Amino acid sequence: MLRTVLGKTLSEQRRSLLWWALGLFLAGATYAPFYPSIVENAATFDQYMESMPEFMKEAFLGASGDFTSPAGYLNTELFNLFAPLLLLLFAIGAGARAIAGEEERRTLDILLSTPVPRRQVVIHKYGAMLVGGVLLSVALWLSVPLTGPPFDLNPSLVDLTAAVFMCFLLAMAFGAIALAIGAATGRRALAVGVTAGVAAGTYLLDLLVPAIESIEFLQLLSPFHYYLGAEPMIRGLDVGNSLVLAGIAAVAFGAALVLFERRDLAA
Amino acid sequence: MADVIVADNLTKSYGTRRGVVELTFAVAPGEVFGYLGPNGAGKTTTIRTLLDLLRPTSGRATVLGLDSHHDSVRIRGRVGYLPGEFSLYDRMTGGEYLTYLGNLRGGVPADHIRDLAERLDVELGIRIKTLSHGNRQKLGLVQAFMHRPELLILDEPTQGLDPLIQQVFYELVEETRADGRSVFLSSHVMPEVERVCDRVGIIREGRLVAVEDIGDLRAKEIRTLDIHFAAPLRPDAFDGVPGVHEAEVFGDVARVTVGGTMDAVIKRAAAFEIVDLRSHELGLEEIFLAFYGGDGGGE
Repeated sequence: MLRTVLGKTLSEQRRSLLWWALGLFLAGATYAPFYPSIVENAATFDQYMESMPEFMKEAFLGASGDFTSPAGYLNTELFNLFAPLLLLLFAIGAGARAIAGEEERRTLDILLSTPVPRRQVVIHKYGAMLVGGVLLSVALWLSVPLTGPPFDLNPSLVDLTAAVFMCFLLAMAFGAIALAIGAATGRRALAVGVTAGVAAGTYLLDLLVPAIESIEFLQLLSPFHYYLGAEPMIRGLDVGNSLVLAGIAAVAFGAALVLFERRDLAA
Repeated sequence: MADVIVADNLTKSYGTRRGVVELTFAVAPGEVFGYLGPNGAGKTTTIRTLLDLLRPTSGRATVLGLDSHHDSVRIRGRVGYLPGEFSLYDRMTGGEYLTYLGNLRGGVPADHIRDLAERLDVELGIRIKTLSHGNRQKLGLVQAFMHRPELLILDEPTQGLDPLIQQVFYELVEETRADGRSVFLSSHVMPEVERVCDRVGIIREGRLVAVEDIGDLRAKEIRTLDIHFAAPLRPDAFDGVPGVHEAEVFGDVARVTVGGTMDAVIKRAAAFEIVDLRSHELGLEEIFLAFYGGDGGGE
């Protein structure tokens, strides 16, 4: 494990990754026991939801407005907020820590006195985030087929895979932004704060802008739009939107490489 | 063979903080070069620029004949570096840390690591979190020496080391020189530089004020002797003794400032019964003042 920066980073995080994976699994598992009561009271829920203003309904239910099918239920309860929130928290933390964390803790000088190019450190750190993200995504995915069936929560596993995958892409995009800010400034708290702020801001943008038709196009600026708007749990994989999310990640990652390469490092 | 470090008008300026200004010097192969200056003079800035952690504002440096920026990765493969301030990964053991860095260097023989750890008396099986500052410094030294680099760049290497381990460090430096390898080390204490270096560059307020042979420096060195005699002395007891810059006598105590060799002063003092004798090294600032006439600037 200690052969490369990637291996060392993962080995260092192994315990924390297990807790995160457990957390994601439990997040997914928590919703299954409540599903039967939702189905039972479907009529009441639908009525209640109908009474809401359109944009609030969308915020709570997602664009489809379907809440009582297995896919709709998971889409609303798990994939609209909780799953992306957890994955984003993980990715933003990992991204901010990757370079800025080492720099602030003063471990970077010795690491970069070995014949490892700076860009390689960035690549390996981001690689570790991707591997960690995949692990958490698998834990999230497993929670549904492992805990859903006793409660008749049997969504399409293909769509589940699509939802987890796009949620993963969204998180990796924000993780890359945190990585880039950390690599450009060497300041971890700044990277966490700015990225979390951007995430909260663009989330609200995606949520609220549709209420005002004339500026609805602003939604396109929000990374969340390409995930939430696609509703992959209901409508399956959206290749175009996935590419947009991957593109955001790639651009931020490229920026991290370039900005870190050019900078004076703090002693 | 070409010089292992060449600084050519190397300048690093920060916005408000002072960096280093137009440094020009060279370190020869097999040489132990001391980089002496008070804290804040620019020693760390120089060193971190050589390692490409900082980029020069103007001028350039070559290390082992390679450009410090463009060929940094190749340089780093052949250099060992100990930063002035650093941390290690708290959750690793010392052994894991050294294995990791060794792997990043393409493998370092385990017996090199064991050997150094034994000599510096550092326990490798213990988590770094629980190690004392001195033991972390020792791990820092092990990682700098373990791949037997052609050039060692060490920033204040003996800080936090107890005297016995300092001796081991001096031996390691001697062995490195005997191997024909080179050492560039910074220090803010004169005796250490005198002890191990062949030449010394003196940096002050970001400028290199002198590069001297240690032998020449020693000849110029100034110390103060406090001598306590059994009986009061005549006030002019040390007048005219070679090497004496200044002598004050207060009853049975004399304070004598001496440059170069002590021989004449000691022989003169030995004419009387001596109760006690103490020698004081002058601080770096006083040495600067004595050498370079002071503008009294200091830090």
